[in-house]
Amino acid sequence: MKPKLIIGIIAIVGFTSLLMYNFGNSISTYVNFEQAEGMNGAHVVGTWDDSQDYGFSMEAKKFSFYMKDQSGNTRRVIYPKPKPNNFEQADQLVVIGEMQNGVFYANDMLMKCPSKYNDGDPSEFTKANSEES
Amino acid sequence: MIGIAGKILVNAAFFCSILALVGYYIFSQKDEDRYFRWSNWLFGLQGLFLLAASALLLKLILDHEFGYYYVFNYTSADLQLKYLISAFWGGQEGSFMLWILFSIFFGFGLMKWTRKPYRGPVLFFLTMTQVFLLSMISGISFGDFTLGASPFRTIAEAMPNAPFLQANPDFVPADGKGLNDLLKSPWMMIHPPILFLGFAMMTIPYCFAMAALWKKKYNNWIHPALPWTLGANVALLTAIFLGGYWAYVTLSFGGYWAWDPVENASLVPWLLGTAGIHTMIIQKKSSTSQKASIVFAILAYVAIVYETFLTRSGILADASVHSFVDLGLYAQLVVFMIVVTGVGLGMLAYRYNDLPKQKNESKLLSREFMTFAGAMVLFLFGLVITLGTSSPIIGKLFTASPTPPEISFYNDWTMPLAIIAGILTVLGQYLFWKKQDSETLARDLTLPVAITCVVTLATIMIADIRNLYYMVYLLSGWFALIGNGFVMVYLIRKNPMLIGGSLSHVGFGMLMIGILASSVYNENLLDQSTQNYNASVERGEAVDEQGFPVRQKVDFLELKLNKSKVIGGKYLVTYEGYTLENQERPGQQQYKIKFQSLEGGEELFNLYPEVYPMNSGGGGAIEWSVDPDVRTGLFSDIYLYVAGSSFVEQRNNQNKKLTQPASDSETPDSSTTQKLTIGRGESISLGGYDIQFEDYIQAKPQEIEALPDSTMIAIRASLNITHKATGNSTSLNPLFAIYNEEGKSWAYSPPEPLNREISIQFSQVKPESGEIELTVSGIDEDYKEDWVLLVAEEKPFISVVWLGTFVLMIGFSIAIFRHWEKERKKSN
Repeated sequence: MKPKLIIGIIAIVGFTSLLMYNFGNSISTYVNFEQAEGMNGAHVVGTWDDSQDYGFSMEAKKFSFYMKDQSGNTRRVIYPKPKPNNFEQADQLVVIGEMQNGVFYANDMLMKCPSKYNDGDPSEFTKANSEES
Repeated sequence: MIGIAGKILVNAAFFCSILALVGYYIFSQKDEDRYFRWSNWLFGLQGLFLLAASALLLKLILDHEFGYYYVFNYTSADLQLKYLISAFWGGQEGSFMLWILFSIFFGFGLMKWTRKPYRGPVLFFLTMTQVFLLSMISGISFGDFTLGASPFRTIAEAMPNAPFLQANPDFVPADGKGLNDLLKSPWMMIHPPILFLGFAMMTIPYCFAMAALWKKKYNNWIHPALPWTLGANVALLTAIFLGGYWAYVTLSFGGYWAWDPVENASLVPWLLGTAGIHTMIIQKKSSTSQKASIVFAILAYVAIVYETFLTRSGILADASVHSFVDLGLYAQLVVFMIVVTGVGLGMLAYRYNDLPKQKNESKLLSREFMTFAGAMVLFLFGLVITLGTSSPIIGKLFTASPTPPEISFYNDWTMPLAIIAGILTVLGQYLFWKKQDSETLARDLTLPVAITCVVTLATIMIADIRNLYYMVYLLSGWFALIGNGFVMVYLIRKNPMLIGGSLSHVGFGMLMIGILASSVYNENLLDQSTQNYNASVERGEAVDEQGFPVRQKVDFLELKLNKSKVIGGKYLVTYEGYTLENQERPGQQQYKIKFQSLEGGEELFNLYPEVYPMNSGGGGAIEWSVDPDVRTGLFSDIYLYVAGSSFVEQRNNQNKKLTQPASDSETPDSSTTQKLTIGRGESISLGGYDIQFEDYIQAKPQEIEALPDSTMIAIRASLNITHKATGNSTSLNPLFAIYNEEGKSWAYSPPEPLNREISIQFSQVKPESGEIELTVSGIDEDYKEDWVLLVAEEKPFISVVWLGTFVLMIGFSIAIFRHWEKERKKSN
């Protein structure tokens, strides 16, 4: 084999493995609050627990609420930003951050809102009208 | 009726495309012109049917036929005409139609201009992609399986399980769901058509590459394919720019690029197409790189289909803020992808040994090597982005439920690639126009390198850049700009039509510099106390109420009505209230934020960010959306949005009371009344209002007649009541009358309502001081001042990003003209 070809193959293999290694490190997996303990940038999926106090505190400049993860653990979540506009609508939340002393500090929060396609909510239809088109 | 006609037309087009596919196949094999003519007729018929179907869909939208799912889902009765028209391509089904229409349109061009032997195979492959695309909107059912999702479905067909439809299958809703407010933007009206224009054009190099493999003619196909590829690139770049600009001015991302899968979906084909342009140009000049040109032409289209799959199959629903939801097209999209990739790469493998081999290795310092290296860098760019975007699939190798990669993944990999690319552009251009050895090249590059070093050093000092990595990146960016600038000046003297390449590379250099400046040196504008707080967080000194250390910084600021704050150490900002006028969207508030200079307090400009409710009609909690405002400047932009306000909070609280009538425990204390004493011409502040007593007014004679005969005094107070936050003022003239009855004097002072909650009584006159007493009810005493929470950012040199993009577009466009001219001359 020509030396150029060997160098080329080494370069390609090296680049690809480095890329895949780095890619593997930069993605993480969705966890629950217990698993999130001690993790950096943990992604926790859950729902808002609306039975407990929530809201934005002007003094602390933080929004805090309780979230129930998919394993049923409920923890306080602190989000250092104003309350997101469509917070109450979200049927699923993803918080990204760290667990500290039983409180989850979210650096980022994603809200999954009810899909436009799947909600055939009858209350949206006001007038019935049976004309055929 | 129209629905059925529409379905028939779409399927007639589908049928014609299949027949045309067969016809083009026979023509490609037998080479008899009558097959070509027949197939062209079928192809044209397909276009005609689809055009008619599109007209019907547009008519349904314009006529507000909400019985149709597509119309119901994307439009509403109050939508403006321009958004009704853009709703045609607002949904998945309609956007497929638009894509096919463009593809058919270009098909006519290919019929006219493509020469033999490529003619038949090119149209065969183009028609093949159209068969797949048409199958996505066919809507024919075979038993349980439905092929595609028809844009002409009725709501009963689309939502068979909805209870209100089971009760009454003929039910037609009175209004549709409407277009998403975020999409009500002129940018979003033109972005999709241009994107699909690019998608349709990028099909053409694929078709030519496949035709070359079919006919074993590997050299000439690039001549007609190159202008099309360049055209596709300009269209995709324009679409990317429009999408980025839209995201910047309407979303609260805070930028033009967020590495969102949908954004990546348009970038990867652009990168691969650009790689293909590079190899095609070398092939044109020196008859090498035939394999690479074919590979990139195939991959650019595969990337389009793959990204279409990612964004439309619902697979990214968790990962992206704005990907489509699955319409049941998953299996069909997979088949489309496999066929396009399989046929492409399969043909390539089949012909691989037949493809021309490169006789002698190109030298390191040759235009062939440099241009090819550039194409490889672009390919690696595309590879990295594709990998990141594919995290829901490829991430499964690492973990069961993968999250999207961190943004740093993209940045860490693209930055070194950009540095390499920046240097390669100059070397490539210098070698492209002149045969050079290392000595002559070194001599020619001395001046550009010297200027680059001086300019980079100056930039580092002025901008106070401390990061070594950024310095290297900046050096590469300036080198690309200056080095290619030199080449461009040299070419302008020779023949201005040749500058396409060098001008595009100048644009690339500008983009590099602009992206670094606007993203890394993006500054959050905060007031001093927030900055101090963040500094203490950084030092680890800040603690929360439980005594735990706080690690999160605050990146927004609070402004109270009419109280100024200094932000970012350079602006004096004041929140001057909001207005409920200018209601483009019902329920919208427009806030006024005044920016003044620190020295002298000279007024610089005002920003008007907006907040509006998204679900204007529905019940439940209000879903607020923000619309940022941007002050565009040559050197820096000020970007700002309202993250929260007292108005929004009040509305939410009111809404909560309305929707939860059961909790009677805390009744709104509307019974609060206050007595105010106010002199003539004076003004008193109460709660959120200013009450000014302007003067007494004599009651009119007819009013006095209405009062008892014994009335001794009847007088009105002219009051001017101003709502502080909005600045709306109302005049009220409450009456005060005294009359005698049974020897006693009685005061008569009816309350004048200001609004539903608030009313004012003119309850007493104090003759000794000339003051009057007002009884005000309904204004909350423990009123908190009106406030807003703002996120404000200063983004330096974002203008350079746009400028770089425009220069790239112009460069590519010049190249189109040049290559198209050459091609035209040849055919005559």
